[in-house]
Amino acid sequence: MKKGILLPLAVLVVIYFLWDGAVLVSKSDIFPRPYQVFLGVVELVQHGLLLKYVVASLFRVSVGFTLAVLVGVPLGLLLGWFKPAFLAFNPIIQILRPISPIAWIPLAILWFKVDDRAPIFLIFLSSVFPIMVTAIAAVQNIQPVYVRAGQNFGVSQFDLFRRVIFPACLPQIITSLRIALGIAWLVVVAAEMIAVNSGLGYLIIDARNAGKRYDLVVAGMLLIGVIGLALDFLVRRLESFEEVKWGYSQRM
Amino acid sequence: MLLPLMSSGKTVGLVVGLWLILISLLHATLNLGAFAPKNVGTSALKEPFRVGFIPVTCHLTCPVTDFINKQMTGSSEFEPVRFQGWPELKDAFISGYLPATFILAPLAMRMREDGVPIKIVYLGHRDGTAMVVNRESQIYQIEDLRGKTIAVPNRFSNQKLLAVKALQDHGVPIDQVKIVEMAPPDMPAALFSKAVDAITSGEPFMGQAEMDGYGRVLYLTKDVWPGFISCVLAVREDAIRDHRDVVQRLVDGIAKSGKWLDEKMDHRMEAADFVAQYYYNQNPRLLRFVLSKPPDRVTYTNLALRRNDFLEIEKLARQTGILRGKVSFDDYTDTSFVSTDSSIQPFAWDYAKTK
Repeated sequence: MKKGILLPLAVLVVIYFLWDGAVLVSKSDIFPRPYQVFLGVVELVQHGLLLKYVVASLFRVSVGFTLAVLVGVPLGLLLGWFKPAFLAFNPIIQILRPISPIAWIPLAILWFKVDDRAPIFLIFLSSVFPIMVTAIAAVQNIQPVYVRAGQNFGVSQFDLFRRVIFPACLPQIITSLRIALGIAWLVVVAAEMIAVNSGLGYLIIDARNAGKRYDLVVAGMLLIGVIGLALDFLVRRLESFEEVKWGYSQRM
Repeated sequence: MLLPLMSSGKTVGLVVGLWLILISLLHATLNLGAFAPKNVGTSALKEPFRVGFIPVTCHLTCPVTDFINKQMTGSSEFEPVRFQGWPELKDAFISGYLPATFILAPLAMRMREDGVPIKIVYLGHRDGTAMVVNRESQIYQIEDLRGKTIAVPNRFSNQKLLAVKALQDHGVPIDQVKIVEMAPPDMPAALFSKAVDAITSGEPFMGQAEMDGYGRVLYLTKDVWPGFISCVLAVREDAIRDHRDVVQRLVDGIAKSGKWLDEKMDHRMEAADFVAQYYYNQNPRLLRFVLSKPPDRVTYTNLALRRNDFLEIEKLARQTGILRGKVSFDDYTDTSFVSTDSSIQPFAWDYAKTK
């Protein structure tokens, strides 16, 4: 346990001194030193902006990601189960999937103007496809013995879905949620480039406009990273539930 | 930790639901001001009359008008909306979200060619652009730019046309330089790291490179193209049709702000302070620098539309291929809001008294 904390801490300390030393050696008066970034964060707290920005970004990611789960999981399960539906929709999913959310920005503004809906839409887009594609694959790769056993019990199609297919796919779906939440959080900077006036992504873009405020740019980057770490930690807790544990222990 | 103890999907659903409610309430309170007491506006408009701008000195009269309106009457029927870049601002105007905006003159003209119902009603400023090179570079005159890379804010920017004009006037063919597009906020760092040889955009980003010591001014607008126009105030035709009185009041306010800014250097320094603090989120020292060194680095008078100014822009724009010559001055402008500059009086407002 001690090693689990000491090792990463040691790496952080080394990175801190490398960073500070590199700025000092290069005599750059543009790139901020670590303590300047820290002061930048303090300044944000003093102006009451830190909480505001963190809340705004978390709100957009929460809503966009929840919508992606509500759409992606059921749709993925259905497409995975009904072969004709899969054949019909798979090409369009594969075409839409690789399009970066940044490419959607102009359309998002035309459709949703520049309030919260546009960034939420971009975050939704970025996370719905990984969830959907994993759910499809999970159903398609399900052990046939589960399905046959269920059918032998004579359960209805709906019950088979609810009692057999969904639980069998759950471990993989939860892993995809972890990845998708990471992507959703990743996209927040791009999504907040649209003229919203709050959020950590906005903080970075606004700091660029403010002239030589690279301390705030780096502060925004680090805040996004730390909160991303916390989000990942929370989603990982889902993997320890009894209902899905079997799916992971098997692989270990 | 609650989570590890739970084992049912319902509990997860409950926690997620509670989280969504909590974060939405926090967001509504902190960022949307949903529970703040509402200001009862005097305007009859259902939606606020939004005016788009970018935090550059070319658009300075927009926040100045808003601030003075609010200080003098307690409210403003206009809502300045700050954008971070040209593409987003342009998209918001096309979508109808912004009935009015400050925008690059050639971009507005090009949008008219593309069928957007846009009318230029007034100028935003004159001058206010520089070409800056790295202090250590060997570029001392415009001819030295041969073979170099120049960053411009946008292909439809007048800064690009200004660079083309400067090069042509000094006998440098345009194909002997490399012109790249770059967001103005990124330009000072690009010049510092020598990613490009020269940068040109609206202030205060040129002033910043100069103030921080690594930039050297190669030319100011007045050296190449006196009376240069980069940005204009443009309005949607439907807004002019449906709310002519509002547009008139907007233009009047912008015009009075411009006169107020050019009335005294004190006014400019005051504007630098309140605009930096409340609208641009920039260092006030930087705005004070570009508004005073020299004082005619950017000007805010003589802003009524004049045909000849635009004919010159048209000529250069057609040469460089950004306009096709499908529209003329009468198509993309509406000169009826301000007839002569001399009729405009500055805002009768004293910042010192309000403090």
